[in-house]
Amino acid sequence: MVTKRFGYLILALFATLALALVACGDDGDGGDGDGGGTATEAAAGNKIADDQKPLVIARAMDTLNGDPHRAFCDTCQIYISAVYQTLVALDHDDNSTLIPRIATEWSASDDLKNWTFKLNPDAVFSDGTALTSADVKWSLERLANLKGSPSFFMDGVDSIDTTDEHTIVVHMAAADASFPAKMNAPYTAIINKALAEANGATGGDDAETTDAAEQWFLSASAGSGPYMMESFQEGDSLRLVRNENYWGPTPKAAIETVIIQEVADAVGQRQLLEEGAADIAMQIDPDTARGISNAGVVIQSVPSLNFVYVGFVVGTEGAVGSDIDLNQDVRQAIQAAIDYNGMIEVLLGGDGRKQATAIPNGFLGTANLPLPERDLEKARKLLASGGYPDGFEMDAPYWSTNVYGVDFNLMMQKVQADLTEINVRLNLQPLEASVIFADLSDNKVPFTAIYYAPDHPDTVQYPQYFAMIEGSRWSGRAGGNQGPIVSATQQDLYEKALLTDDLDERERLYDELGREMISDAYILPLANPNLILAYRSDLQGMHYSGCCNLELAELYRTTD
Amino acid sequence: MGTYIARRLALMPLLLLGVVTLVFVVSRTAAADPIASLVPERLLGNEEVVAAARARWGLDKSAPEQYAVYIKNLVQGDMGTSFRTKQPVGHDLAERLPATIELTVAALAIAAIVGIPAGIAAAIGRDSLVDHVVRLFSLIGSSLPVFWTGLILLYVFFVQLEVAPSPGRIDLRALPPDHITGLYTVDALLGGDFRQAGDALHHLMLPAFVLGWAVMGIIARMVRASMLDVLNQDYIRTARAKGLTGRQVVLTHALRNALIPTVTILGLSLAALLTGAVLTETIFSWPGLGSYAVESTRTLDLPAVMGVAILGGSMFVVANLVIDITYGLIDPRIRVS
Repeated sequence: MVTKRFGYLILALFATLALALVACGDDGDGGDGDGGGTATEAAAGNKIADDQKPLVIARAMDTLNGDPHRAFCDTCQIYISAVYQTLVALDHDDNSTLIPRIATEWSASDDLKNWTFKLNPDAVFSDGTALTSADVKWSLERLANLKGSPSFFMDGVDSIDTTDEHTIVVHMAAADASFPAKMNAPYTAIINKALAEANGATGGDDAETTDAAEQWFLSASAGSGPYMMESFQEGDSLRLVRNENYWGPTPKAAIETVIIQEVADAVGQRQLLEEGAADIAMQIDPDTARGISNAGVVIQSVPSLNFVYVGFVVGTEGAVGSDIDLNQDVRQAIQAAIDYNGMIEVLLGGDGRKQATAIPNGFLGTANLPLPERDLEKARKLLASGGYPDGFEMDAPYWSTNVYGVDFNLMMQKVQADLTEINVRLNLQPLEASVIFADLSDNKVPFTAIYYAPDHPDTVQYPQYFAMIEGSRWSGRAGGNQGPIVSATQQDLYEKALLTDDLDERERLYDELGREMISDAYILPLANPNLILAYRSDLQGMHYSGCCNLELAELYRTTD
Repeated sequence: MGTYIARRLALMPLLLLGVVTLVFVVSRTAAADPIASLVPERLLGNEEVVAAARARWGLDKSAPEQYAVYIKNLVQGDMGTSFRTKQPVGHDLAERLPATIELTVAALAIAAIVGIPAGIAAAIGRDSLVDHVVRLFSLIGSSLPVFWTGLILLYVFFVQLEVAPSPGRIDLRALPPDHITGLYTVDALLGGDFRQAGDALHHLMLPAFVLGWAVMGIIARMVRASMLDVLNQDYIRTARAKGLTGRQVVLTHALRNALIPTVTILGLSLAALLTGAVLTETIFSWPGLGSYAVESTRTLDLPAVMGVAILGGSMFVVANLVIDITYGLIDPRIRVS
């Protein structure tokens, strides 16, 4: 008797649990659950000008830093460009053309050392106070003086003057034709000086030690952009609310509230998107995208300016391969042995492009660069002339990560498989970031894989990071314990490019520099992955921006 | 009893000091550099930025100096600032803990409410259909990894049947209830918003079931085994001989004795789940302590790792203490010596 009663009790409990799940079914805005083919075009309809329904973006957020002058991450770019404004902006249809934003016009002295920016007198912050040259000067000085991650944007700036309330002059130590482009990077955002100072921010020479506003910037914002921060809970969500005092120059945001919701993986993002719980899934990889068959979802594959690459460090210690002479022939042999077409197929299902050198397709100077091709015969000859006719073995530690839809584990396995064709045997070592980058700094990594996304629309950022010129990151890194590697030819081309604002001449110089970088073969771009834009079909204005990833204020919904 | 509790609590700081020291030493011997988490990869070659970051976060000091500073601040109630979130660790833990408590308590409640009766039923009806069903259900729950059950149940109930809500603590588009306790279900009720309380409860059910199922399996099997053991004791035979009903024998005489090992499991599960529910939290986008702990460890966020270790250590100490006290309440023959 007791047995039977307990048995019923257990069954009743399970039944209650199941019923409760069913009974609580969402009857709100949940999904349509309809099948059908993948939509390729957004539905047409009338724009909802004042949309009260929050927009939800599913995204694995980086570690958000709300302070524009300390931040440096993809999510930070999206957030900062929604909440703050920069002096100049990027043209919507052309990721290389600058257009006015806070500055209405800009010009340089003949020697390209003094840049004058005229500010829009209508510009106001979200609290209604006027945005003046004092705010701009303070913001740019703070960016430099904090010595934070994005402070390098102010490298080469000697001083900043305000000639009147709406004019600033930036004095450079040397000619820099690319300076206005740098002023498009979200990290050069202009902050409301009075409000930030009232909450602990400082901008003077001692800002590195006196600034105490970093935590405040995680709970509030002080910008002039179309949105304001409403709240941020790390690991959960970031909520933005429309800036009702927005002055322009673009129209006021149509959607009142934007929520960036932490969703760790592409599969989770896809589920939310298909069910209608999210409006945008930001990190859908090509494989996941191909599995979406919901008529309410739009999938677009658009070219991006991001790329993944492998690089050599010639002076290492303690690793297998440290005794190998990674000379130019050996590097070029590996360059010729990689199957780039197969790489794009395997990693991206074809949703990507080959890239000539460490300057992404579409940047000035890349139009005529030769794309890499696999040539195993050439590779074997180069390896022999490099002193290794029988190949060699080498450690290849790398960051075990997944970025821009590229699984680095898969990518390095493909590189490993490709190189076995010329008997170069890689010991793959997937590592956490804190380990691999510490090892790289200690010159223990002869060969590794990393990625890069642009900061601004000028090509100059690539030689500054990848070329064998003084002060570049890879010049120092590639030399390892042998010291920085500097190519006089690359140095000369780089300096000439900074000295001219003639676009044709700069294109020629960057083309030549790009060919030099292909030839030295320290950096081998493996793929330029497309960006998958996945969003609900009632959403319009989705667009990949070279500076900001996604410009939230351009988004709006339509009625059926 | 009071003296015993006071003595156990007084030993807690010493134990935590041991935990902190151990975590500190282990983290400093790791073959990694936390600066790689503080400075983006692209700027690790910028000596000025790296030096500024090291100075700002105290990484330019020697390990003993860092340890001394940490202990000094800790004594004053300051667990430091997280490298990753840039917030005080105490703030981070306070923000994450309610989400985990809500999930864990719900999971354990489900585990206990289903697991204990199931175990009893299985023991009483040994080798019956009910016994087989309970054992199978328990075996599946305790054997399957939670990330698998989580993904499958999410797929079935959220994607296919559309009866479960999206991951997260409440509707993604809704504002959370005003912060009172940090437990959304409780805060919504206290605020008089029953619709939101229902929404929060709805969001809680599936992750709580996934997490609770694993513990439920262990509890049901533990209760079954204990009950079988107890039901064969002489005093049970005596009770039956006195003419007591089956219900009286089971609930009054057998269950209390059989519950003692179950209480241990429940207590330790509570402490373990509070910091270890990372997979469930990740799958269900649940912003709790587990995901915070893992992300902090992954990025060598030393202050956060220490903070989680202190909190986790405290929880285990308190859980053990509560278990010991509960033994005495369940069985008066057990006295603290």
